[in-house]
Amino acid sequence: MFTPKMDGTWTGYVIGSIVVGIVLMLVLMQLPKRARKYILWTVTFLGGLFYALEFFLPTHEMMIEGSKTEGNFLSPFVVPMTNVLPALSAFAVGLGVINLFQMHTKRVLKWNVDSINSIAFFIAMILMTVGHIMAKSPHPSPFATSLYKILFEGALQSLDATMFSIIAFYITSAAYRAFRVRSVEATLLLATAIIVMLGQITLGQLLTSALPEYLHVEVVRNWILTKVNAPATRAISVGLGIGSLAVGLRIWLGLERGSYFEN
Amino acid sequence: MNILRFLQTVDRRVIYVLLMLSVTAPFFLSIRLPMRVSPATEAFYSAIEERQPGDFVLLAVDWEAGTRGENGPQTEAVITHLMRKKCRFAILSFAPQSPKLTQDIVERLGKEYHSVEGVDWINWGYKVNAKNYLKGFVRDIVGVVKTNNKTEPLTKFPVMEGIKTASDIKLLVNITPSSVYQTYLQFVAGPLKVPMVVAPTSVMVPEVFNYLDSKQISGMMPGLPGAGEYEGKLGTNTKVTRFANSASFAHILIIFFIIMGNVAMLLERRQNARLGGRA
Repeated sequence: MFTPKMDGTWTGYVIGSIVVGIVLMLVLMQLPKRARKYILWTVTFLGGLFYALEFFLPTHEMMIEGSKTEGNFLSPFVVPMTNVLPALSAFAVGLGVINLFQMHTKRVLKWNVDSINSIAFFIAMILMTVGHIMAKSPHPSPFATSLYKILFEGALQSLDATMFSIIAFYITSAAYRAFRVRSVEATLLLATAIIVMLGQITLGQLLTSALPEYLHVEVVRNWILTKVNAPATRAISVGLGIGSLAVGLRIWLGLERGSYFEN
Repeated sequence: MNILRFLQTVDRRVIYVLLMLSVTAPFFLSIRLPMRVSPATEAFYSAIEERQPGDFVLLAVDWEAGTRGENGPQTEAVITHLMRKKCRFAILSFAPQSPKLTQDIVERLGKEYHSVEGVDWINWGYKVNAKNYLKGFVRDIVGVVKTNNKTEPLTKFPVMEGIKTASDIKLLVNITPSSVYQTYLQFVAGPLKVPMVVAPTSVMVPEVFNYLDSKQISGMMPGLPGAGEYEGKLGTNTKVTRFANSASFAHILIIFFIIMGNVAMLLERRQNARLGGRA
């Protein structure tokens, strides 16, 4: 249904899509709240209906994109839908960026102690965007490649890893203060945590290696995880699944308050 | 201050320094702790070992720099095994940093195992919206993926020969610190009966055990210790063992502090009770 466009045609399609998207959004914003709600609800309902019908309707053998497969009359549209939705997601990201720019511009203009963070946001965002576009051009200059390496590998990856590593310090401190045998439940939790932690590491396995096999900490840990933990988390997962289904249905049918710009 | 009270209220800065030492010290010490391969890692290893040369494997990597300490060695171990077995593989990711981080590992190992991009492996790059993406992906890989991460059409690469739908994938390997493996299970492995193995971070292990126990996944490489076990199976000797030692020491330190705090609390209670105070 959709074929990839190359070079000039591709650029034309991208610009055309952005213009059409902006026009549609502007039109939507000018509409009365009630009309906007019904349009959004209809589009959401049709989107959900497509996937529900495609899943539930009986299937038969058919040819899709040159391959023999099981499907119904809606199945040939699954792949085109898959190709359309990333474009919609890109619009959502674009809206998020616009929102961030608006918010941080206001903060900078007000100028107080927090404004420095907003300036850091603008510098990081612009540098990363420009650096990436320059480095991913067909013929990147050595400067562009170095800038990208410094920003992506030197800064972003290291900061990301650092932020995540800091959690270990908080976990250690919190575990030391919070894990206290103040009740039977807390004692059970503590004993289980220690067994699972020891079973997870080589040193823990070494400590019990002289004991009979069934008392090895990794064997006990496996027993806890499969016989105690698995049924409990499965029950929670089923509950979560049913809850998600209910919320999904409410949004799909427009019953959830606040989904379509209501107060 | 009473010693028992002190043992219950050690300053957090002291704990931070000790943790930092316990994590970094193994990098400078040559300690080789005995490692027993868990049944989960053994099953993961067998799932790749059973593949034939030329089999197509989907390497779904969904980790970023934050979990590189665990997911990096896991990815390295899996890629080493795939290259040794001469399996073809494709990298697919729903995390923006993953394709680049994995590409670096593959390029480095590719030189050692003479594995060529486009012939033996391909990077499909970063994709968005996992659920929707996989729904189309299972029906028409070339039509949905379209290009590699350098925007070159997939059809020009020999590695894609005979790969049309997700049914052509012989094994799905997901290395992840998130619940994206459930999406793969729901849309790819489950409906098409594609064998799947998962390499989660240690903190996710209890959750993934559910799917291993129900045999919905064929194997699991549990976090960094799993990567160490896998390395032992492969007979390679890289930094993973030292990483695993760091994890061991850090865990022991946490357990030590928990036990110390509790023992001090119980002794203090007994002391107070003996003195007729509040227990």
